[in-house]
Amino acid sequence: MTKRVVEHATCLGCGCACDDIAVVVDGDRIAEARNTCALGRAWFADGSVPRETRSGGKTVAPDVALADAAKLLGRAERPLVYLAPDISCETQRAAVAIADRLGALLDSPTGEIAAGILASQRRGRAAATLGEIRQRADLVVFWGVDPADRYPRYASRYAVDPAGLQAPDGRNSRRVVAVDVGPSRGAADADERVAIAPEDEIDALALMRAVVLGRGIGDGTVARVATGLATQMMRARYVALVHDAEPSQRGSPLPLPLHPDSGEALIALAQALNGPARCALSSLRAGGNRSGADAVATWQTGFPFAVDFAPGYPCYRPHAGAAVLLARGEIDVALLVGSPAGVPQGVAATLAHVTTIVIGPRASAAPFRPKVAIDTGVAGIHEGGTAFRMDDLALPLRPALSGPSVAADVVRALAARLTKGRS
Amino acid sequence: MSKARLRIAGGAVYDPGSAEGADGAIRDVCIEDGRIVAELPRDAPKLDARGMVVMAGGVDIHSHIAGSSVNHGRRLLPEEHAADPAPAPPLADPDAVPRSGTGGTIPTTFTTGYRYAGLGYTTAMEAAVAPLAARHAHAELDDTPIIDAGLFALLGNDDYLLRQIAAGEVARARDYAAWVLSAAGAYAIKIVNPGGVERWKAGGRNVTGLDDAVGTGAVTPRRILETLADAVNALELPHPVHIHCNNLGQAGNAATTLETMRALAGRRAHFTHLQFHSYGGERGKSWKSAAKEVIEHVNAHPEVSADVGQVMFGPATTLTADAPVEYLLHASSGKRWVNVDIELETGCGIVPYSYREKAAVAALQWAIGLELFLLAKDPWRVVLSTDHPNGGSFLSYPELIRLLMDRGYRDERLKQVNQKLVAGSTLADGLAREYTLSEIAIVTRAAPARLLGLKDKGHLGVGADADVTIYANDPDRAKMFSTPRHVIKGGVLVVEEGQLRRAPTGRRLRVRPGYDPAVTRDLKRWFDGYACVSFENYPAVELGE
Repeated sequence: MTKRVVEHATCLGCGCACDDIAVVVDGDRIAEARNTCALGRAWFADGSVPRETRSGGKTVAPDVALADAAKLLGRAERPLVYLAPDISCETQRAAVAIADRLGALLDSPTGEIAAGILASQRRGRAAATLGEIRQRADLVVFWGVDPADRYPRYASRYAVDPAGLQAPDGRNSRRVVAVDVGPSRGAADADERVAIAPEDEIDALALMRAVVLGRGIGDGTVARVATGLATQMMRARYVALVHDAEPSQRGSPLPLPLHPDSGEALIALAQALNGPARCALSSLRAGGNRSGADAVATWQTGFPFAVDFAPGYPCYRPHAGAAVLLARGEIDVALLVGSPAGVPQGVAATLAHVTTIVIGPRASAAPFRPKVAIDTGVAGIHEGGTAFRMDDLALPLRPALSGPSVAADVVRALAARLTKGRS
Repeated sequence: MSKARLRIAGGAVYDPGSAEGADGAIRDVCIEDGRIVAELPRDAPKLDARGMVVMAGGVDIHSHIAGSSVNHGRRLLPEEHAADPAPAPPLADPDAVPRSGTGGTIPTTFTTGYRYAGLGYTTAMEAAVAPLAARHAHAELDDTPIIDAGLFALLGNDDYLLRQIAAGEVARARDYAAWVLSAAGAYAIKIVNPGGVERWKAGGRNVTGLDDAVGTGAVTPRRILETLADAVNALELPHPVHIHCNNLGQAGNAATTLETMRALAGRRAHFTHLQFHSYGGERGKSWKSAAKEVIEHVNAHPEVSADVGQVMFGPATTLTADAPVEYLLHASSGKRWVNVDIELETGCGIVPYSYREKAAVAALQWAIGLELFLLAKDPWRVVLSTDHPNGGSFLSYPELIRLLMDRGYRDERLKQVNQKLVAGSTLADGLAREYTLSEIAIVTRAAPARLLGLKDKGHLGVGADADVTIYANDPDRAKMFSTPRHVIKGGVLVVEEGQLRRAPTGRRLRVRPGYDPAVTRDLKRWFDGYACVSFENYPAVELGE
């Protein structure tokens, strides 16, 4: 069989959503995904996915699985619809429609970064698309994050290395500062390293903002560090302040929860820097179209996550989302759309205790033994449509392989069954 | 009620936009297969409109309802959404999937469609979309039912265009504009603060005048305006270039607005939210109305059109690609602020706001909008908008219509506002004009459709789209226009007896101007050099149809 190449494919291995991937297909397998990083290679892999449709532990016809799913959801008293990773916006839109119809709680992994989202709702944002950072930034400050770990091409494709309009010499046009917040290290490739103890992080950010606003801040150790950093940032033309919005270092032995106030302090600092300089806060997000889940929820409901349709309209329950209601035992049936493997620990652990229906890539391999499992393709590998980059930019997906069922079609078919059973 | 045929019988028809015309004449309006037809058999289904007012469906020439910036705004306003829940409407078709949502100044997509239709509007233009983010805007419009919608593509701060201007490549700039419109699936070209957003992103200060240098002295706001106005005219686009001038919201900005109009003299051009650009006085010192000077220029120049961008008292969300303006508003108000710089193209700024009638500047802005309306000689060229949600929600249009139609009511309202700055305005001197129903029909549907070049909209002539709104003829015009009795969209009865009953999918309005394909080779090189999205992934819609 001859090989074929799908050019300009978008990788959803992380939130960078690099769209310059050339996927080489040999038969029904991916032989190579060119231009990818290690994460991207692992995400594409050979493109093989299970193709099962199961109900009650048995292989069944798709119609039977859908009928069973509709019956379970129709009887549910407190259903949850959860938007897991690796589905397109088209699938997400169809899944939110089901939540609306059922009066369900709607949530997604965005619930894991609730503190940061709530901070941005109180204060707003000073942000930029990734390409704008490439064009403008003359100072890049990595705040407790080395993008090489979870966002491998962030530096080479966007923020640091490439030449831009106002950074004609790429890396040499920029100064890179790594701020190590305890064990959360800044970028390895830095012109300067600054260490801040985790317990001093919020103080340091507040003091930096005070310096930017022209207030005196005393001369303690933290104040000296803060003054040094803030002064550099004020002298820059365009600062990219980069932090990891995701909650913990994957693969690290100790999960390092974000300080709940760090998001707000970073936003406030970035906003204040617009005045003396220009500044954008770049919030790194994981892949699988997680950003799409909160964009879609926002345009359909007005709220980015933890949306409760129980009253007959969307209500925002940022402190009573999926993890909380599952832990309290309030949810009886969960419809999970997307990759079960991408569901955060806190949610996944409790899903074993409720009736679950999973529609998504590798649904049949879900560790929490779903009642109904319908395997679909992975958005971006087997399915087309739209996905969002971490900076809220919508990109097209170019599937290289044909998959099992198409997630959006399955979810729409389920929605149709629920509509018919309505009256 | 079938889509196929309907006779709207016995209503008073206000149809200034059709060749036949009608100014309150009692006559039937006949619909077949989504179009207006001359006659129907006697046994065709009938909708009794006796005692009611019949107009074409409303057409909003400038609104912000879908896309990346709008969604950033939505995300910023959870408390507004919580305060304005919108349960799913009870639709007639059992297979229809009605959707709940939330409102506030930036409603959710489904609620936006339902509310526009409930207001008797059947077409709306999303007025500011970065071409790079057009895919997002289309996805939201796909979830915005009923209304036909188009988007305006933001140009004028985009690096590729500025390069062509710097190099004197007029033809290439035109080809590029045509390609962008096609790639974005857009309907018109929108310029926002030409050159100013680019300067703000580059770390400099906003531009203040038409001849400020943008990067290089060869590129100025004036050159950007001329280049794009000429391109639009050469491409024979249905809508002229849609311009948000420099210096929005600044005291004394009327001088810039007039200079912009003079710079484009003889060229077709549409000046949007003119109210925000009609201020006298001096920056940082004093405010006064310059509505009279601005509107007299508009009156005297038939190639110029405008929408007003009326400010209405109450909550608003200021949301614009004019990011430096929002920075200033945040700095002066201390309110929440979103800024998003958009690579190689434009900016985005958002600040929630409230216009209070006891605030001097808000009262002046309110008065200036009304002056523009009341001093405009030609309603076909000065049309209704609030720049939703910037000057107020589209839901405030009925109140605005009452202000225009009812002098007694207007004068009462005027007494209640802060008098400090309105004292010297022509409004305070007493403007007696009252808009007629026919003039309202012009500024809310016939003229916007004509200015947009939508030949089948805004009127009820034979062959027109069967978008029809039927109002109870209530002397309280705010009440009349806020709750139409019936609304028909594309021949489908969507609002029946004041209730939303059907929610068909709206159409997307777009243009496909031709261009020399050589421009795409140059663009590909430029994308490879600077862009962070593949050239092949940039178009939001299929090209080459």
